[in-house]
Amino acid sequence: MASHRITAHTDIRPAGELAGYLSDLAAQLRGPRHVREAILTELRDGLDHATEDHIAAGLPPDQATTAAITQFGTPHAVADAFGGELATAYARRTIVWFIATGPLVGIWWLLLLHPSPWRTGLIALLGAIPVIPLIVVAIATAGGTLATTGPLMRWLPETGPRWALAATTAIATLCMVGDLTMITMLMISGMPTRPLAAIAVAASLTRIARSITTVRHATRMRSR
Amino acid sequence: MLPMRPELLKGHLDALLLAVLETGPQHGYAVIEALRSGSDGALDLPTGTVYPALHRLERAGLIASDWQTVGGRRRRSYHLTPAGHAALGEQRAVWDQFSTAVTALLTSRTWPATA
Repeated sequence: MASHRITAHTDIRPAGELAGYLSDLAAQLRGPRHVREAILTELRDGLDHATEDHIAAGLPPDQATTAAITQFGTPHAVADAFGGELATAYARRTIVWFIATGPLVGIWWLLLLHPSPWRTGLIALLGAIPVIPLIVVAIATAGGTLATTGPLMRWLPETGPRWALAATTAIATLCMVGDLTMITMLMISGMPTRPLAAIAVAASLTRIARSITTVRHATRMRSR
Repeated sequence: MLPMRPELLKGHLDALLLAVLETGPQHGYAVIEALRSGSDGALDLPTGTVYPALHRLERAGLIASDWQTVGGRRRRSYHLTPAGHAALGEQRAVWDQFSTAVTALLTSRTWPATA
Protein backbone atom coordinates (compact mmCIF):
# COMPACT_ATOMS: atom_id res chain seq x y z
CA MET A 1 0.00 0.00 0.00
CA ALA A 2 1.27 3.46 -0.89
CA SER A 3 2.50 5.75 1.84
CA HIS A 4 0.06 8.53 2.81
CA ARG A 5 2.47 10.82 4.56
CA ILE A 6 2.39 14.37 3.29
CA THR A 7 4.18 14.08 -0.01
CA ALA A 8 3.69 15.64 -3.40
CA HIS A 9 1.79 13.45 -5.85
CA THR A 10 0.01 13.63 -9.15
CA ASP A 11 -3.46 15.21 -9.28
CA ILE A 12 -6.46 13.12 -10.14
CA ARG A 13 -9.18 15.03 -11.97
CA PRO A 14 -12.68 14.56 -10.58
CA ALA A 15 -14.37 11.80 -12.48
CA GLY A 16 -18.09 12.26 -13.15
CA GLU A 17 -18.87 9.54 -10.65
CA LEU A 18 -16.76 11.21 -7.98
CA ALA A 19 -18.31 14.62 -8.65
CA GLY A 20 -21.78 13.07 -8.46
CA TYR A 21 -20.93 11.34 -5.18
CA LEU A 22 -19.65 14.55 -3.61
CA SER A 23 -22.67 16.45 -4.92
CA ASP A 24 -25.05 13.90 -3.33
CA LEU A 25 -23.11 14.11 -0.11
CA ALA A 26 -23.14 17.93 -0.13
CA ALA A 27 -26.92 17.87 -0.49
CA GLN A 28 -27.27 15.70 2.62
CA LEU A 29 -24.92 17.52 4.98
CA ARG A 30 -26.64 19.93 7.37
CA GLY A 31 -24.71 22.50 9.36
CA PRO A 32 -22.51 25.60 9.07
CA ARG A 33 -21.37 26.17 5.49
CA HIS A 34 -17.66 26.50 6.24
CA VAL A 35 -17.69 23.21 8.15
CA ARG A 36 -19.54 21.44 5.33
CA GLU A 37 -17.08 22.80 2.78
CA ALA A 38 -14.14 21.67 4.89
CA ILE A 39 -15.61 18.17 5.20
CA LEU A 40 -16.17 17.90 1.45
CA THR A 41 -12.66 19.14 0.65
CA GLU A 42 -11.17 16.71 3.13
CA LEU A 43 -13.18 13.76 1.83
CA ARG A 44 -12.34 14.67 -1.76
CA ASP A 45 -8.65 14.44 -0.89
CA GLY A 46 -9.24 11.12 0.86
CA LEU A 47 -11.15 9.75 -2.11
CA ASP A 48 -8.33 10.79 -4.42
CA HIS A 49 -5.86 8.94 -2.21
CA ALA A 50 -8.06 5.84 -2.13
CA THR A 51 -8.39 5.97 -5.93
CA GLU A 52 -4.62 6.23 -6.30
CA ASP A 53 -4.22 3.20 -4.05
CA HIS A 54 -6.64 1.13 -6.11
CA ILE A 55 -4.89 2.18 -9.33
CA ALA A 56 -1.56 1.20 -7.79
CA ALA A 57 -3.12 -2.16 -6.92
CA GLY A 58 -3.94 -2.75 -10.59
CA LEU A 59 -7.49 -1.46 -11.12
CA PRO A 60 -8.28 0.71 -14.15
CA PRO A 61 -9.03 4.37 -13.19
CA ASP A 62 -12.83 4.18 -13.54
CA GLN A 63 -13.06 1.03 -11.44
CA ALA A 64 -10.62 2.52 -8.96
CA THR A 65 -12.92 5.50 -8.46
CA THR A 66 -15.91 3.20 -7.95
CA ALA A 67 -13.93 1.11 -5.45
CA ALA A 68 -12.87 4.24 -3.53
CA ILE A 69 -16.45 5.47 -3.34
CA THR A 70 -17.63 2.06 -2.13
CA GLN A 71 -14.89 2.08 0.48
CA PHE A 72 -16.02 5.47 1.81
CA GLY A 73 -19.70 4.50 2.07
CA THR A 74 -22.95 5.86 0.69
CA PRO A 75 -23.54 9.63 0.83
CA HIS A 76 -26.35 8.99 3.31
CA ALA A 77 -24.13 6.95 5.63
CA VAL A 78 -21.29 9.48 5.50
CA ALA A 79 -23.68 12.41 6.05
CA ASP A 80 -25.19 10.55 9.03
CA ALA A 81 -21.72 9.93 10.46
CA PHE A 82 -20.86 13.63 10.30
CA GLY A 83 -24.28 14.66 11.68
CA GLY A 84 -23.09 14.87 15.27
CA GLU A 85 -20.04 17.00 14.54
CA LEU A 86 -22.02 19.30 12.27
CA ALA A 87 -24.75 19.68 14.89
CA THR A 88 -22.19 20.49 17.57
CA ALA A 89 -20.45 22.99 15.27
CA TYR A 90 -23.80 24.63 14.57
CA ALA A 91 -24.66 24.78 18.28
CA ARG A 92 -21.30 26.28 19.24
CA ARG A 93 -21.31 28.87 16.47
CA THR A 94 -24.90 29.90 17.26
CA ILE A 95 -24.26 30.14 20.99
CA VAL A 96 -21.20 32.33 20.35
CA TRP A 97 -23.41 34.58 18.20
CA PHE A 98 -25.95 34.96 21.02
CA ILE A 99 -23.20 35.71 23.55
CA ALA A 100 -21.54 38.24 21.24
CA THR A 101 -24.73 40.06 20.32
CA GLY A 102 -26.34 39.95 23.77
CA PRO A 103 -24.64 43.14 25.01
CA LEU A 104 -25.41 44.88 21.71
CA VAL A 105 -29.12 44.35 22.33
CA GLY A 106 -29.11 44.74 26.10
CA ILE A 107 -27.23 48.03 26.22
CA TRP A 108 -30.07 49.92 24.50
CA TRP A 109 -32.68 48.58 26.91
CA LEU A 110 -30.39 49.37 29.84
CA LEU A 111 -29.89 52.93 28.65
CA LEU A 112 -33.62 53.30 28.01
CA LEU A 113 -35.05 51.74 31.15
CA HIS A 114 -32.33 51.99 33.78
CA PRO A 115 -33.67 52.95 37.21
CA SER A 116 -33.14 56.49 38.27
CA PRO A 117 -31.05 57.50 40.08
CA TRP A 118 -28.58 55.03 38.43
CA ARG A 119 -27.21 53.10 41.38
CA THR A 120 -30.22 51.97 43.38
CA GLY A 121 -29.38 48.30 43.70
CA LEU A 122 -30.43 44.98 42.26
CA ILE A 123 -34.13 45.23 43.18
CA ALA A 124 -34.56 48.50 41.29
CA LEU A 125 -32.66 47.07 38.32
CA LEU A 126 -34.87 43.95 38.31
CA GLY A 127 -37.94 46.18 38.46
CA ALA A 128 -36.77 48.15 35.44
CA ILE A 129 -35.46 45.15 33.47
CA PRO A 130 -37.31 42.06 34.74
CA VAL A 131 -35.75 39.73 32.18
CA ILE A 132 -32.38 39.76 33.97
CA PRO A 133 -32.99 36.28 35.50
CA LEU A 134 -33.64 34.94 31.99
CA ILE A 135 -30.37 36.48 30.81
CA VAL A 136 -28.50 34.86 33.70
CA VAL A 137 -29.96 31.42 32.88
CA ALA A 138 -29.16 31.89 29.18
CA ILE A 139 -25.55 32.90 29.92
CA ALA A 140 -25.08 29.95 32.28
CA THR A 141 -26.51 27.53 29.70
CA ALA A 142 -24.33 29.04 26.97
CA GLY A 143 -21.18 28.92 29.07
CA GLY A 144 -21.83 25.35 30.19
CA THR A 145 -22.51 24.13 26.66
CA LEU A 146 -19.45 25.83 25.18
CA ALA A 147 -17.28 24.45 27.97
CA THR A 148 -18.50 20.86 27.61
CA THR A 149 -18.33 20.77 23.81
CA GLY A 150 -14.88 22.38 23.55
CA PRO A 151 -11.43 21.86 25.06
CA LEU A 152 -12.83 21.67 28.61
CA MET A 153 -14.58 18.41 27.75
CA ARG A 154 -11.27 16.74 28.58
CA TRP A 155 -12.12 17.34 32.23
CA LEU A 156 -15.89 17.85 32.22
CA PRO A 157 -18.60 15.42 31.05
CA GLU A 158 -18.99 15.88 27.30
CA THR A 159 -22.27 17.30 26.01
CA GLY A 160 -23.52 15.28 23.06
CA PRO A 161 -24.86 16.84 19.85
CA ARG A 162 -28.54 16.43 20.79
CA TRP A 163 -28.07 18.13 24.13
CA ALA A 164 -25.99 20.87 22.52
CA LEU A 165 -28.84 21.51 20.10
CA ALA A 166 -31.36 21.41 22.97
CA ALA A 167 -29.28 23.98 24.85
CA THR A 168 -29.12 26.17 21.74
CA THR A 169 -32.90 25.98 21.39
CA ALA A 170 -33.31 26.89 25.07
CA ILE A 171 -30.99 29.90 24.74
CA ALA A 172 -32.80 31.13 21.62
CA THR A 173 -36.16 30.68 23.35
CA LEU A 174 -34.99 32.57 26.45
CA CYS A 175 -33.77 35.43 24.24
CA MET A 176 -37.07 35.46 22.38
CA VAL A 177 -39.12 35.55 25.60
CA GLY A 178 -36.85 38.28 26.99
CA ASP A 179 -37.09 40.41 23.85
CA LEU A 180 -40.87 40.03 23.61
CA THR A 181 -41.23 40.89 27.29
CA MET A 182 -39.17 44.06 26.90
CA ILE A 183 -41.05 45.18 23.78
CA THR A 184 -44.41 44.50 25.47
CA MET A 185 -43.33 46.41 28.59
CA LEU A 186 -42.32 49.38 26.47
CA MET A 187 -45.59 49.38 24.56
CA ILE A 188 -47.80 49.26 27.66
CA SER A 189 -45.67 51.80 29.56
CA GLY A 190 -46.91 54.65 27.42
CA MET A 191 -43.36 55.97 27.21
CA PRO A 192 -43.03 58.61 24.47
CA THR A 193 -41.30 57.35 21.34
CA ARG A 194 -37.60 58.17 21.39
CA PRO A 195 -34.76 57.22 19.04
CA LEU A 196 -33.30 55.08 21.82
CA ALA A 197 -36.54 53.10 22.09
CA ALA A 198 -36.64 52.60 18.33
CA ILE A 199 -33.07 51.26 18.35
CA ALA A 200 -33.80 48.93 21.28
CA VAL A 201 -36.95 47.55 19.63
CA ALA A 202 -35.15 47.12 16.29
CA ALA A 203 -32.29 45.26 17.99
CA SER A 204 -34.73 42.98 19.80
CA LEU A 205 -36.77 42.32 16.67
CA THR A 206 -33.57 41.37 14.82
CA ARG A 207 -32.66 38.95 17.58
CA ILE A 208 -36.20 37.52 17.66
CA ALA A 209 -35.92 36.79 13.94
CA ARG A 210 -32.58 35.07 14.48
CA SER A 211 -33.99 33.15 17.46
CA ILE A 212 -36.89 31.82 15.39
CA THR A 213 -34.49 30.69 12.67
CA THR A 214 -32.27 29.05 15.27
CA VAL A 215 -35.15 27.14 16.88
CA ARG A 216 -36.28 25.95 13.45
CA HIS A 217 -32.79 24.81 12.37
CA ALA A 218 -31.95 23.18 15.69
CA THR A 219 -35.26 21.32 15.79
CA ARG A 220 -34.73 20.07 12.23
CA MET A 221 -31.19 18.91 13.04
CA ARG A 222 -32.33 17.14 16.20
CA SER A 223 -34.98 15.23 14.29
CA ARG A 224 -32.44 13.81 11.83
CA MET B 1 -7.30 -11.57 10.40
CA LEU B 2 -11.00 -10.74 10.58
CA PRO B 3 -11.84 -7.01 10.75
CA MET B 4 -13.22 -5.85 14.10
CA ARG B 5 -16.56 -4.11 14.36
CA PRO B 6 -16.24 -0.37 15.17
CA GLU B 7 -18.50 -0.86 18.22
CA LEU B 8 -15.81 -3.03 19.83
CA LEU B 9 -13.48 -0.03 19.82
CA LYS B 10 -15.83 2.15 21.81
CA GLY B 11 -13.78 3.98 24.40
CA HIS B 12 -10.47 3.12 22.72
CA LEU B 13 -10.75 4.87 19.37
CA ASP B 14 -9.44 8.18 20.72
CA ALA B 15 -6.29 6.52 22.04
CA LEU B 16 -5.74 4.66 18.76
CA LEU B 17 -6.03 7.85 16.73
CA LEU B 18 -3.69 9.70 19.07
CA ALA B 19 -1.19 6.84 18.84
CA VAL B 20 -1.27 6.91 15.03
CA LEU B 21 -0.61 10.66 15.03
CA GLU B 22 2.19 10.38 17.57
CA THR B 23 4.70 9.63 14.82
CA GLY B 24 3.90 12.84 12.92
CA PRO B 25 1.26 14.75 10.98
CA GLN B 26 -1.08 12.69 8.83
CA HIS B 27 -4.21 13.33 6.80
CA GLY B 28 -7.49 11.52 7.47
CA TYR B 29 -7.17 8.78 4.87
CA ALA B 30 -3.60 8.09 5.95
CA VAL B 31 -4.86 7.65 9.51
CA ILE B 32 -7.37 5.05 8.29
CA GLU B 33 -4.62 3.25 6.39
CA ALA B 34 -2.24 3.41 9.36
CA LEU B 35 -4.88 1.82 11.60
CA ARG B 36 -5.46 -0.92 9.04
CA SER B 37 -1.82 -1.69 8.31
CA GLY B 38 -0.72 -1.29 11.92
CA SER B 39 -3.25 -3.90 13.04
CA ASP B 40 -2.69 -6.36 10.17
CA GLY B 41 -6.13 -5.53 8.81
CA ALA B 42 -8.01 -6.06 12.07
CA LEU B 43 -8.88 -2.36 12.42
CA ASP B 44 -10.43 -1.63 9.04
CA LEU B 45 -12.54 1.30 10.16
CA PRO B 46 -15.01 3.09 7.90
CA THR B 47 -14.56 6.70 6.86
CA GLY B 48 -17.65 7.63 8.82
CA THR B 49 -15.99 6.51 12.03
CA VAL B 50 -12.51 7.97 11.65
CA TYR B 51 -13.07 11.43 10.14
CA PRO B 52 -15.74 12.57 12.66
CA ALA B 53 -13.60 11.15 15.48
CA LEU B 54 -10.65 13.27 14.29
CA HIS B 55 -12.88 16.36 14.24
CA ARG B 56 -14.05 15.60 17.76
CA LEU B 57 -10.46 15.21 19.00
CA GLU B 58 -9.63 18.56 17.43
CA ARG B 59 -12.62 20.14 19.18
CA ALA B 60 -11.29 18.70 22.45
CA GLY B 61 -7.91 20.31 21.78
CA LEU B 62 -6.04 16.98 21.68
CA ILE B 63 -5.08 17.37 18.02
CA ALA B 64 -4.87 20.34 15.66
CA SER B 65 -5.10 20.54 11.90
CA ASP B 66 -3.48 22.54 9.10
CA TRP B 67 -4.58 23.00 5.53
CA GLN B 68 -1.96 22.63 2.83
CA THR B 69 -2.08 22.63 -0.94
CA VAL B 70 -0.20 19.68 -2.37
CA GLY B 71 -0.22 18.93 -6.08
CA GLY B 72 -3.13 21.35 -6.59
CA ARG B 73 -5.25 19.59 -3.95
CA ARG B 74 -6.19 21.00 -0.59
CA ARG B 75 -5.29 18.66 2.20
CA ARG B 76 -6.00 18.75 5.91
CA SER B 77 -3.32 17.19 8.06
CA TYR B 78 -3.63 16.50 11.77
CA HIS B 79 -0.98 16.57 14.46
CA LEU B 80 -0.92 16.03 18.21
CA THR B 81 -1.04 19.02 20.53
CA PRO B 82 0.84 18.99 23.85
CA ALA B 83 -2.49 18.11 25.51
CA GLY B 84 -2.83 15.24 23.03
CA HIS B 85 0.62 13.89 23.95
CA ALA B 86 -0.33 14.03 27.63
CA ALA B 87 -3.70 12.35 27.00
CA LEU B 88 -2.03 9.58 25.01
CA GLY B 89 0.33 8.88 27.89
CA GLU B 90 -2.60 8.68 30.31
CA GLN B 91 -4.61 6.44 28.01
CA ARG B 92 -1.65 4.10 27.54
CA ALA B 93 -1.38 3.69 31.31
CA VAL B 94 -5.12 3.00 31.57
CA TRP B 95 -4.92 0.47 28.73
CA ASP B 96 -1.97 -1.35 30.31
CA GLN B 97 -3.92 -1.72 33.53
CA PHE B 98 -7.13 -2.74 31.75
CA SER B 99 -5.51 -5.24 29.38
CA THR B 100 -3.50 -6.85 32.18
CA ALA B 101 -6.66 -7.34 34.22
CA VAL B 102 -8.73 -8.67 31.31
CA THR B 103 -5.96 -10.95 30.07
CA ALA B 104 -5.55 -12.39 33.57
CA LEU B 105 -9.25 -13.17 33.74
CA LEU B 106 -9.71 -14.48 30.22
CA THR B 107 -6.68 -16.76 30.31
CA SER B 108 -7.37 -18.11 33.79
CA ARG B 109 -8.42 -21.78 33.65
CA THR B 110 -9.00 -22.54 37.29
CA TRP B 111 -11.42 -20.45 39.28
CA PRO B 112 -11.48 -20.28 43.04
CA ALA B 113 -14.31 -22.30 44.56
CA THR B 114 -17.10 -20.32 46.17
CA ALA B 115 -18.64 -21.21 49.49
